Amino acid sequence: MSESIRSVVLVGVGGQGILLASEVLARAAMISGYEVKTNEVHGMAQRGGSVVAQVRYGPRVYSPLVARKTAQVLGALEQIEALRFADYLAPDGLAVVNAQAIVPVTVSMGAARYPQDVESRLKAAFPRMAYLRAAEVARSLGSIQAANIVLLGAVSRGLDLPSDAWQEAIRASVKEKFRDLNLKAFETGRCLV
Amino acid sequence: MREYLLGNVAIARGILEAGCGLASGYPGTPSSEIVESLAPWAGEQGMHVEWSVNEKVAMEVAIGGSWAGTRSVVTMKHVGLNVAADPFMTLAYLGVGGGLVIISADDPYCHSSQNEQDSRRYAQFADIPCLDPADPQEAKDMAIYAFGLSEKLNLPVMLRPTTRVSHARSDVETGTIQKPSQGAGFDKNPRRRVALPVHVRPLHRELLSKQEALAGELESAPWNSLTLRGDHGIIASGISGLYAGEAIARMDLNLSFLRVGTFPPPFELVKKMVEHCNVLMVVEELEPVLEEQVERIALRYNPGLKILGKSSGALPRDGEFDLLQVDNAVATMAGEQTRSAPILPREILPPRPPSLCPGCSHRATYYAMRKAFGRDAVYPSDIGCYTMAVGMGTVDTCLCMGASITVASGIRFGGEERPICCSLGDSTFLHSGLTGLLNAAYNKARITVAVLDNSTTAMTGHQPHPGTGVMATGEATSRVSLEEISRALGAGLVETVSPYDLDAAVQTFRRAREHPGLSVVIAEQACVIGARRSGERRRPFRVRDSCTGCKKCVEFGCPAIEFVDEKASINALCTGCGVCAQICPIGSVEVVE
Repeated sequence: MSESIRSVVLVGVGGQGILLASEVLARAAMISGYEVKTNEVHGMAQRGGSVVAQVRYGPRVYSPLVARKTAQVLGALEQIEALRFADYLAPDGLAVVNAQAIVPVTVSMGAARYPQDVESRLKAAFPRMAYLRAAEVARSLGSIQAANIVLLGAVSRGLDLPSDAWQEAIRASVKEKFRDLNLKAFETGRCLV
Repeated sequence: MREYLLGNVAIARGILEAGCGLASGYPGTPSSEIVESLAPWAGEQGMHVEWSVNEKVAMEVAIGGSWAGTRSVVTMKHVGLNVAADPFMTLAYLGVGGGLVIISADDPYCHSSQNEQDSRRYAQFADIPCLDPADPQEAKDMAIYAFGLSEKLNLPVMLRPTTRVSHARSDVETGTIQKPSQGAGFDKNPRRRVALPVHVRPLHRELLSKQEALAGELESAPWNSLTLRGDHGIIASGISGLYAGEAIARMDLNLSFLRVGTFPPPFELVKKMVEHCNVLMVVEELEPVLEEQVERIALRYNPGLKILGKSSGALPRDGEFDLLQVDNAVATMAGEQTRSAPILPREILPPRPPSLCPGCSHRATYYAMRKAFGRDAVYPSDIGCYTMAVGMGTVDTCLCMGASITVASGIRFGGEERPICCSLGDSTFLHSGLTGLLNAAYNKARITVAVLDNSTTAMTGHQPHPGTGVMATGEATSRVSLEEISRALGAGLVETVSPYDLDAAVQTFRRAREHPGLSVVIAEQACVIGARRSGERRRPFRVRDSCTGCKKCVEFGCPAIEFVDEKASINALCTGCGVCAQICPIGSVEVVE
């Protein structure tokens, strides 16, 4: 029953493309024949704040929200956001973290400090972690905008969806002129784990 | 066919499949995507789709549409229903023509709202049915059902999605889109359309007598489903039913289960649960609307029933539920092991609250305002992106849409002697600021009103309004001048300035401050998001080595300005507004050529 539900949490900062990544994942699961439910936050939270998208799929899915400590995969486009939402991940889950720091306005204004020991904290929080440079990889492929799909490629290694479902999902979700870039970004990310 | 749809898009799809001919609304998270999704269909469907000036207007336009015999829908967020409450409450007496559906989207946890009121209370208050969907599929199906129900009962019907339904996505079974049938036109019938005391007295009796038929209809609605099993049971409404259902499935519990999707709740089904069970838990977000009904029915049919829920303390009355919380409540009732949430050291992470965008003109306006009015002035504010500037010291109040000008007036009349400068956005000004400005002029309020005019409704996703010259469908229309309307309403001094020209903006605010009566400053600068979308690019700025680290620019609070190694530095987020270059006292910020 619910044990067969797969839960994924994708986090980042407003504007990084979390919503597109979650859409591709949801489509890939749908194409694979699963029932899918996702949730995202619009409005105020999108203005430079932390963004969370939750995706769940399986033969029968009830809740669109992921219970804490149950996600199979946590994908983070910004590294301290991975720590912020670490409690969603199951103890044996896979964390995929983009090694990128985006400084919150609270830090740039001097009201808070960005932690210096992020990598060691990530290693302590996540026994199973892929720590990758999605932004740089995306830039080398042609556009930093594809960092979200590089990350998703790595996330896909923690899930059980077939490769062709992912490719079909990417084709259905991105504009034609960015299709090849994103397909390549996905494959590159998939090979990073 | 199955399509992967956002909850609000699924609702729009249901509206189209129901052959609805008129849709109106005012933007508000989490409701905005419904009208946005309908707008592209307006031409093909021969449907009237509009962003109205506010929710009261939207409600009345939809009522007119219905009275002309056309199926009509009006959308808003929960607090929008407060604005529309006047027509809403009397509408139930007068009834409908074509099916009329009122969509009020609730926001438990206030993800993007000033309160978390429960729209089901409003439906109860007005004696009309309310449908409480759990997911996008139900939301779509209920939208279609609501039009038929409205016509059958001659009552408006409320559809009440919550944030986690409106902004969930799932695969949805879609049907055929129906062309709206041409309404028969307005049928003159003063006894049913003119709310004179002599007319409404019998209409109130009629409304009350309809309640039995209404309950009978809802009893058999497909979203109320009962499974009688063990003597412990759960009654859950809306999305809570999914959380409870998953908990029951996960632990494979022998619990009786009633899922409720309609209000008033199905009496016979609740009665069966109450009679069958010894212990019942009621699971619903926010107000105990369902729980109170269960308590009433239990009093008559099973007074010994133990009811768990909000009054027992099993579940809270505030905030939104999540799966783990409901799972734990169900586990506790069933005597199963609960799952603790891990405690992680979140407090050592720097917070990342939503903030004004890099280059946002509101930041510049507030900077100039504070410079001219000083720290000690009083700054009533309003609802929009600019409320996020609360840390700048120029947002002293935020209550509801349009309350900046009126609260500012009251603060003055209440005896405050310091300068008062209130602020509100262009869309909010046109929504409900105009009446406040008229009142301030009429009653001689000595205040300054700043209209932060970025020429869009930014916070909810950039919807047009009467100040933009564009309609919901993209069609061009007349464009109201904020200056002219302010003058017409009686403001003594009205000036427009671009906040990107900092000196000019400060001078303008100084003149407004010195004005002995009511003054209006229109700070006009397009929203940076809109400007970027329309292809506008400005050269970014950088900090020269001569920077002394005085932090004046850092205090401006732009996310593009960082403080690294005792000097300011401008990062890649810079949009080239150039305001920090005007703030720097020694000219160390320069444009990148």
